[in-house]
Amino acid sequence: MAIEIAQATGKREREGSPWTGLWAVVAKEMADHLTSARMRVLEILIVLTAAGTIYGAMQNIRSTIGQDRFLFLKLFTTAQEPLPAFVGFMGLLVPLIAIALVFDTINGEFSRRTLSRILAQPIYRDALLLGKFLGALFTLALVFTAIWLLIMGLGLWGLGVPPSSEEVARSFLFLLVTIFYGGIWLALAMTFSIIFRQPATAALASLAVWLFFMVFWDIIAGVLAQTLMPIRFGFSEEYLKQAQLELGLTRLSPTTLYAEAILALLQPSIRSLGFILPTQLQGAILGSPLPLSQSLLLIWPHLTGLLAATLLLFALGYTLFQRQEIRA
Amino acid sequence: MKRWFALLLTLIFIFALAAPSVVLAQDEVPGKEITFFTTYPSQVVGIGETVTLPLRLRTTAPAQVISLSMKEVPEGWTATFRGSGRAVEAVYAEPNVDATVDLRLEQPANVAAGTYKFVAIAKGEHGSAELTVFLTIQEKTPPKLTLKTELPTLKGTPGSTFRYSADLKNEGGDDLTVNLVAEAPAGFQVNFKVSGQDVTSFPLAANESKRLSIEAQTVSALEGGTYRIVVRAQGGVVDATLELTAEVTGQATLLVTAPEGRLSGQAYAGRETPLKVIVANNGTAPANAIELTSSTPSGWTIEFDPKKIDTLNAGQQVEVTAKVRPPEKAVAGDYVLTVRARPANGTTQSADFRITVLTSTLWGVVGIVLVAIAVAVVAMAVMRFGRR
Repeated sequence: MAIEIAQATGKREREGSPWTGLWAVVAKEMADHLTSARMRVLEILIVLTAAGTIYGAMQNIRSTIGQDRFLFLKLFTTAQEPLPAFVGFMGLLVPLIAIALVFDTINGEFSRRTLSRILAQPIYRDALLLGKFLGALFTLALVFTAIWLLIMGLGLWGLGVPPSSEEVARSFLFLLVTIFYGGIWLALAMTFSIIFRQPATAALASLAVWLFFMVFWDIIAGVLAQTLMPIRFGFSEEYLKQAQLELGLTRLSPTTLYAEAILALLQPSIRSLGFILPTQLQGAILGSPLPLSQSLLLIWPHLTGLLAATLLLFALGYTLFQRQEIRA
Repeated sequence: MKRWFALLLTLIFIFALAAPSVVLAQDEVPGKEITFFTTYPSQVVGIGETVTLPLRLRTTAPAQVISLSMKEVPEGWTATFRGSGRAVEAVYAEPNVDATVDLRLEQPANVAAGTYKFVAIAKGEHGSAELTVFLTIQEKTPPKLTLKTELPTLKGTPGSTFRYSADLKNEGGDDLTVNLVAEAPAGFQVNFKVSGQDVTSFPLAANESKRLSIEAQTVSALEGGTYRIVVRAQGGVVDATLELTAEVTGQATLLVTAPEGRLSGQAYAGRETPLKVIVANNGTAPANAIELTSSTPSGWTIEFDPKKIDTLNAGQQVEVTAKVRPPEKAVAGDYVLTVRARPANGTTQSADFRITVLTSTLWGVVGIVLVAIAVAVVAMAVMRFGRR
């Protein structure tokens, strides 16, 4: 049997690097994305969002001027009625943009019958899939970086104070986390575009998942926690265990992970994202900011969880794509 | 009969008319036609006082010139008769009108106490009169001040105020203006108070007594020991001194701090971290048996090495290592840790340390392992399904 496997693997031995043509695919994909009308609409949407929320935040910060060490970070988190804060908008918009970018990336090629033509070139399927993913990711990164620079520039102009190095580091990490959060939705939408031959179905499936995590998962987590850890005697331990289970369940959702990670990054005074017993806070100096390394440590599980989920989704999509018959 | 009766009546009438003149004629004894007197012939006077006595002369005889002189004057005294601002020697006296003249008596320079007799004589044409005047020079009490206190020795700590109360009495016969001066060693600031007011000088009438409050404020860095404060009250040529004693007992004043005064540190959750604490004695006496205690956030352990400092001399400091251990599940962030040093003699001192709790990076490693597994899965998928 070992010989068989060896023979089988031997048959599949590659010739040349699987990365051949990867950057050509990336460059072409980016060019397609950046010139598409779909991207224009999304860009206008996000620029308007950014300008509106930052303007509102700046008005708010100016009117309640205080000795805040992290004035720049407040630009992202301050909400001015009726607009929510910039980070709130991002939690909503990033998945939508990611899904909109890639929901038809593979099945679109199928329906246009261009896939076999591409693969007739000396490009592996690996390179094609990764190139499409990276192309979309770089597009996202480009757009978000531009928005981030716009916000920092507006902040400098509007607040008149330069940001401290820690503020820059924290907001830059916020940008990175946002891009990677986009990555998980890219991987998801790409997987669906491999599974479903119809782009509309793939888009609907992706949106369904997004809606499920945005709206329903919190409710389901609450119900699940109540069923799995029912309160029998009314001890405070029971309540605590139930709440912890519910929190653990909601953290399966990438939206929750992203929201918590952003909260810890942009509000340095956040010490813990879980439940804190009053005894744990005895003697604590409340409101004192955590060093950046500690904030990072706090959200490290979130970040690794997001990254691992992205990789696993990509692996799933890759496996499915490799096993697909494309000579249609 | 009727003629005899009329003659008798006439005689009686005549006699009745003549009788007064007969009586007056009998009063005019030789030498008594001049009356020489003064209202207060015996007086008590002070030393150095010049006495002026108003004298009166009365004569029944026809108007005449009466000469005045002193029959007896004590040695050294000067007696002069004065009238209209001048020295006079004779007076013109009219009958039944009092003539006045002043007798001025001047004391010699060093007059002794006692009674002095002066006899003045007024000589007229038909007689003379003498007037004896006694002047008693009273011995004046010499000026004298006394300053007394009931509690001349007080005990206290450095930095406290020693309050003595003393009685100052003017035992002399003169009113005095008293100046108060204190000679105190360095580290003492002496103030005087009378009726609650700060004074350095005040009038004190003869035989008057005043209660004086002497307040000696000490500096807190004063070394323990016995100090002498001399209080001097000066009034004119006399003075009175009072020696006061202040027994200052040294005090241990502790200070809890850290090297370079940096009262902050870092500690990892669940790990023992040494924290340097400095206990210094800034007082004036050694501190004994200093116990180190702390109040920590709940779940923390803290251990001092050494746990107890037996003796810490004044001006010395000792470094103590506190092994701080936040609990395993401590939430990252800043906490307040209070370290107290309690000597057997003296007050407890404390310092607040700000400890930043850092959480372990162990879970970060776990996250990286998780990502590594995901990468491995992708790699495996590539290995398994990678096509030509």
